[in-house]
Amino acid sequence: MSETIHQRRIIIGAVLCVAAFALVGIRLVHVTLLKSWESGRAATIVAARADLVDRNGQLLARDLPVKDLYARPAVFWDKREAARDLAAATGSDERRLLSGFNNAKHPYVLVARQITPTTEARVMHLGLPGLEFEPGGKRYYPDGRNAAQLLGVTDPDNNGVSGLELGLQDQIRASAGGRVATSIDMRVQYILAHEIEQARQTFSAHAAGGIVMDVKTGEVLGMVSLPDFDPNQRKLGGGDSTRNIMAQDVYELGSVFKIFSFTLAFEDHTLKSLDETFAIGQGYKIGKYTIHEAEHMPATLQARDILAQSSNIGTSQIALRSGGARQREFLSNLGLLSPVKTMLPETARPLFPGANWGMIETATVSFGHGISVAPVTLKKTAASVVNGGRQITPTFIRQAPGTDNRGRQLIKPQTSQQMRDLLRYVVTNGTGRKADIPGYEVGGKTGSAQVPGPHGHYLPHALRTSFFAAFPVHDPRYVVFVLMDQPHGTKETGGFALAAYTAVPAAAHVIARIAPLLGVPNVAAPTELASQ
Amino acid sequence: MVRILNFICVALMGFSILALYHVSEKTRVAHMELNQVKHQIVKERSAIGVLETEWQHVASPDRIQQLASARLGMADSASVQLSSFDQIPRRGAEPAPLNNSPVHNASAQLPAAPPAPVPNM
Repeated sequence: MSETIHQRRIIIGAVLCVAAFALVGIRLVHVTLLKSWESGRAATIVAARADLVDRNGQLLARDLPVKDLYARPAVFWDKREAARDLAAATGSDERRLLSGFNNAKHPYVLVARQITPTTEARVMHLGLPGLEFEPGGKRYYPDGRNAAQLLGVTDPDNNGVSGLELGLQDQIRASAGGRVATSIDMRVQYILAHEIEQARQTFSAHAAGGIVMDVKTGEVLGMVSLPDFDPNQRKLGGGDSTRNIMAQDVYELGSVFKIFSFTLAFEDHTLKSLDETFAIGQGYKIGKYTIHEAEHMPATLQARDILAQSSNIGTSQIALRSGGARQREFLSNLGLLSPVKTMLPETARPLFPGANWGMIETATVSFGHGISVAPVTLKKTAASVVNGGRQITPTFIRQAPGTDNRGRQLIKPQTSQQMRDLLRYVVTNGTGRKADIPGYEVGGKTGSAQVPGPHGHYLPHALRTSFFAAFPVHDPRYVVFVLMDQPHGTKETGGFALAAYTAVPAAAHVIARIAPLLGVPNVAAPTELASQ
Repeated sequence: MVRILNFICVALMGFSILALYHVSEKTRVAHMELNQVKHQIVKERSAIGVLETEWQHVASPDRIQQLASARLGMADSASVQLSSFDQIPRRGAEPAPLNNSPVHNASAQLPAAPPAPVPNM
């Protein structure tokens, strides 16, 4: 019997239906069995924060891929055994794990954060079901302690908690996967850290620190605070400190403050000339107080030698010519009476006399006592004095070559010129002689302040020494500030712990090493070079 | 005639379906390969990132200084050993700055060696 046309159509329709079902079946097989082999999700980079690099592109901080380990205790056969094995493999607390596994409220329990590939291999070897590895990132600092306080650290959730990690948080997050270029020069940072640590050890100082800054761009090339810590470890070791003493603490910085007293005198024309002679004597009485010198001084000193030999009595006389109100106004205008705002979250409010700024306060402030400022505040203000007299604010972001970030005129350019000459004189003929490095024309000022004790009296034989230096001083490009907290004299220094013996050599070593790196021309005459 | 036309249309439709399926499969495979390559790139970048970090660690200035002083006996150069390019005489230029300097004052100049003693025979 021949097939009717209807039968053929039914057969064709059936074939088409079978073909359609076959396609659906093939797709089902594909979706259920083969799809799992595909990588459906787009690949992502784990970095949540941008790299921090120095001004030359050297890596300072980077997120490295690590994994967080979670467990689903519901699928464990034996929770006690699983807790014991996981604790042994990861170093986690066994009791915490067991407690978490027995708590039915939480389907997932965090076993360990930021585990290394070795730990991951150990965990995988356990063969436990219900374990999940969540990819994440751990912040790593290749240079370790060198810039610990400056860079700061992040918490386990990759949020910045201190230093530039917190201060530049928005830029770091916005550039995730990229890089944020800081103003730091790792070579300078290392040299600064190395020399300050050497000096701290030599003089058994409680703490020490240093800063190097460009006077025209305000770029901070290095900042060191000792004692420091290892930012790659979550726990602090013995003697470690996370405190950045250069930005976070205020100190009476002593005679280095005389820079501002002389600047005021030049601005107010209260000095007839640098040859003007002042009587020094054995003490200078102001009311019931007597101002003394730190060291023996001649009966009279010329104005330039008052700064060079760091005479408290002479400086007091010069400051009193301007008066307390003018001194306060001047220091306030320079920015010394308010906290300096930088990209660092660490900051400190200066301490100063307040309403009763009388004669004795004017005298003590003139030589850096009775007023406490953060080292970073002093450094940036002194930089303004030598950079032509214009305001400069420290920055930690790399600036384009040739940038001039100097702001409004704080003092007259002629005053700045006079101060540069005077600071050079301090180094060639005064307390800063150990910083007279051939060829680099260093100018600077020392400071040796007494250290206040817990009961409002100064501690006997305890000093806080500092040295501010600018080089090359005829047209400064960089300033260096070194601070040492309670250094002790050595046999080589004859037992003296004054700045001239402690902070000045440290700063000199720093300048001698960084000046060639920074391309500062050595201007020493050939004969001088050859005769060394 | 209509039947032939229908057959051709159905055949074309079938071919179209097969062709579409083929293209879809090729696209899926290409997409899969692309994802694999992307994953590989991320993995490699991650590995490069780790290597760069390790390099930065081993080539850090403090480590280089320690190795240079311990293994090579190197020390920091004194500033007097450094000069600027301005002070280096150009070819044929005169006067050459260092030529005029009193070389006998240079600390690097060795004292004249004393005559070697004549051994007693």
